[in-house]
Amino acid sequence: MTSINPFGAPASRRGFLAIAGAAAISVTLAACGKSTNSGSGGSGGSALGIGNNGKKGNGRSGTAADTLFIGGFQWGPAANFNPFSPSAAWPAQGNVAQYLYETPLRFNIVTGELLPGLAKSYKVDGLKVTLTFQDGAKWSDGQPLTSADFAYTYQLGKLDPTNSIAGLWTDIDSIETPDATTAVVNVNTTRKNTAVVLQNIAQTYVYPQHIWSEVIKSNPQLSTYQTMKPVGSGPFSVSAADQTQVVLTRNDSYWGKTFYGGSPVFSKVIHPIFKSNDDANLQFQNGQMDVMQTFIPQIWKTWENGKPIGTYLKASPYYVPGSIPMFIINTTKPGLNDPAVRKAMAYAIDTASIAETAMSGYSDKVVASLMMPSGSEAKYLDKAKAQSDGWTYDAAKAEQTLKDAGYTKGSDGIYAKGGVRLGQWKLITPTGWTDWNAALTIVAKNFKAIGIDAVTYFPQAADCTTQVQNGQFDCACWYVAGASPATPWQRFSDVMSNVSIQPIGKAAFNNYGRFKNDQIDGMLQTAAAAADDASKTTALQALDDLYRQNVPSIPLMYRPDEFYQYAAVNFYNWPDEKNNYAPPMFRGAGNTWIYKLKKIGS
Amino acid sequence: MSGINPLSELEAETRNTNVADATSVLAGLTTHPRRAKRRRSGGFNVSGRFWVAAALVGFVILMAFIGPLVYPFGAGEKVGGLYDNPSATHLLGTDNFGHDVISVLMTGARNSLYNGLVAGLVATAIGVAIGVLAGYVGGWLEELLMGITNVVLAVPAIVVLILISISLQNTSVGFLKGIMGLALVIGFTSWPWTARAVRAQASSVATREHIDIAKLSGARTPGILWRDVLPYLASYIVMAFVLQVAGAILAEASLSMLGLGPSDVVSLGVQLHWAIAFQAVGSGAWWAFLPPTIILTLVSFGLLLLQSSLDELFNPRLRRGKRKAMKAAAERRAAAAAQLQTQPAGLAAGAEEVLA
Repeated sequence: MTSINPFGAPASRRGFLAIAGAAAISVTLAACGKSTNSGSGGSGGSALGIGNNGKKGNGRSGTAADTLFIGGFQWGPAANFNPFSPSAAWPAQGNVAQYLYETPLRFNIVTGELLPGLAKSYKVDGLKVTLTFQDGAKWSDGQPLTSADFAYTYQLGKLDPTNSIAGLWTDIDSIETPDATTAVVNVNTTRKNTAVVLQNIAQTYVYPQHIWSEVIKSNPQLSTYQTMKPVGSGPFSVSAADQTQVVLTRNDSYWGKTFYGGSPVFSKVIHPIFKSNDDANLQFQNGQMDVMQTFIPQIWKTWENGKPIGTYLKASPYYVPGSIPMFIINTTKPGLNDPAVRKAMAYAIDTASIAETAMSGYSDKVVASLMMPSGSEAKYLDKAKAQSDGWTYDAAKAEQTLKDAGYTKGSDGIYAKGGVRLGQWKLITPTGWTDWNAALTIVAKNFKAIGIDAVTYFPQAADCTTQVQNGQFDCACWYVAGASPATPWQRFSDVMSNVSIQPIGKAAFNNYGRFKNDQIDGMLQTAAAAADDASKTTALQALDDLYRQNVPSIPLMYRPDEFYQYAAVNFYNWPDEKNNYAPPMFRGAGNTWIYKLKKIGS
Repeated sequence: MSGINPLSELEAETRNTNVADATSVLAGLTTHPRRAKRRRSGGFNVSGRFWVAAALVGFVILMAFIGPLVYPFGAGEKVGGLYDNPSATHLLGTDNFGHDVISVLMTGARNSLYNGLVAGLVATAIGVAIGVLAGYVGGWLEELLMGITNVVLAVPAIVVLILISISLQNTSVGFLKGIMGLALVIGFTSWPWTARAVRAQASSVATREHIDIAKLSGARTPGILWRDVLPYLASYIVMAFVLQVAGAILAEASLSMLGLGPSDVVSLGVQLHWAIAFQAVGSGAWWAFLPPTIILTLVSFGLLLLQSSLDELFNPRLRRGKRKAMKAAAERRAAAAAQLQTQPAGLAAGAEEVLA
């Protein structure tokens, strides 16, 4: 990863003139009544947050000039803005951009910091997390937002144990609200996992008590509730939604105008609903969209072709790594239950090829660890050990590992031992997740090359989720915890925790591979409760050693938490590594940039 | 897999052929129909169209089956990065996996042809069996078989194909996962048109006199079907087979493009699938999607052209240069008539029969 520079130089007078010039041009064009959402505009001068080629567009005219076009979050018809519904529409989906609902704290993926949000400050004191809420925070219907709303949000998890908040009580004992702006969260005294509690606070929206206390009376199971007019605390409200788009309108009485330093320059946010990635990307490249969260292969070609498109990092890998798509192995299957076979698989996978082709080069070199070698997790990782005890792509070593473990190659070219043939195993991941589909295609080829029989199978996302959660799979490419205040601990827990291990056929929410180990729970507990960074590092490295001995899963690549890419067609001052006032995110601290974007045409 | 099937048109045309056949049968009951025909038309009178078609299909077949043997790169060999531009070593650049596009294209074409052949054979075999049986035997069996055929015809084949291929991907039977499985599925869903068309032909053949003679001489039904019915349908079946092959190649391509094709196998459709998935069109990587499209077009165009030129060969009414031939015949007739006037009446009757 490229290092992130502090603020760039302030805009020069020449830069100002360039902007003024662009503005004048766009005004002239607007006067002619011509649509000006041109894909390739002129040079952006020294303006910040413009295309990677230094270009920006001429701005749009008419009402489109005051609209932010965003894409990549909503793919089906937007029919329900109930955040508890499994088919909740953007932005009522959990942990997305905070335009409608907000969280008390906001995570910054670049710095690893927790920034203030609805809470203006927080304090961790042993197993007590104290949140102080903003003065004057209020809901879009004018009611005040207090610490009682925060406490009630968590209470919803107890009133309706079927919703996602219910699970958060595993790590929380109680929540107190001494006054209207203060909430004290008491961390579970046996699990002592303050980091996970902070992560949950940073990812869980606060809901209005005066609305939901009524809703729960008629809908004891909150997921059944239907609404198109959600009441939130954020800077936008839902004004229209159907199968083609979601339209949000600026809430001009938003409480946070002073906190965030002003209102967004755009009065509307439109999220068009596209049929596929291709459609969305085509619109984006044609300059119809401002900012997108989709996978665009070879993004550099867009700015080489003169489009004013930009990414956070200006050089490869272009995106800030935020998660590790995992090759999860079902350790209950004969053959796959042998750590030697799993290690051979790890040697067999050509991760460099995956990064280069399947991920279009948007990944750093993969390290044999559950911790990411960059960002906020890098400080815990012992890179030398990962190299010496780990694996890198080496087909000969893979076969040698199998031979050393007593496997012999059959006449069909596949290794076997004691009647257990290595394969045929199905490698699954949802259809249409193109980068992961391609990654598994490469993995299957790698396995066949060393004498392990494997085929790919890409079912529908819902089917695939069920198969993975129920343990009814051989191997899967799946996601585990992305960078958050709770990682890397959370990732170790996701991959290996035996606390809530489920039998095959029953849904599990972590350790999909059903990896069993006697020490792991104790080690996870030690790491979670570690009081200082040194002991935390020791505990995490011990977990990493255990991981490398057993290989319950194999990291395939590093993937950005969100694909953040913008087109400076109507707005500039997008955050990037030179203009790093906000992280390349939509969720969490990513809401910062909506207040700082500047309009090209003004 | 559109609703309009060229076979139905073919059905109408070939019925005319049979009228011609019937006359030749009348002329010489003991002569084999094809031999009789060849004598009448004076050997294989193939048109230029046939040679163009043969060249197109031959080119794709050579490329698919000989190409991989001589080309220096393998289809699964990573030789570059994501969509590397065409270069001197890799004339068509690399695909999204960094494989050489030409080698993938050749292997893909081979698998697509293989799929087409298997599916075409299966569909033709089922269609001919059902059609001949229904057309020849008639009665309740015909009603039953044609009833089934019409029901199968009414179900949109693409829906059945999609459903079966989804479950095929999830099967634990190894060989069904590959191109073979898909070929069988396509074959098992595309036979009804052949069955209907063949039935029409067979029922017309069933009423001919040589069948009666065969029956009188004590031949059994299977023997009659094999020796006295099928040969008369052979030309028709060959054309139907060619159409089935072309249809199967396109069906495989459309399924694979949707991502429902066989796993971990290269085919022209799979190549297009990855080109779409990795947005080759958007990023300007024409070498990833144009070559498979062109080969698909060439092979299906070539096969259809081959079918229509075969039709010309088998059906005298469609033969080129008909006017010229008719003019020549008229001239010959005029010359014969002139000769007749100078010859006795008994000989004239004989000459007329020859010229008929």
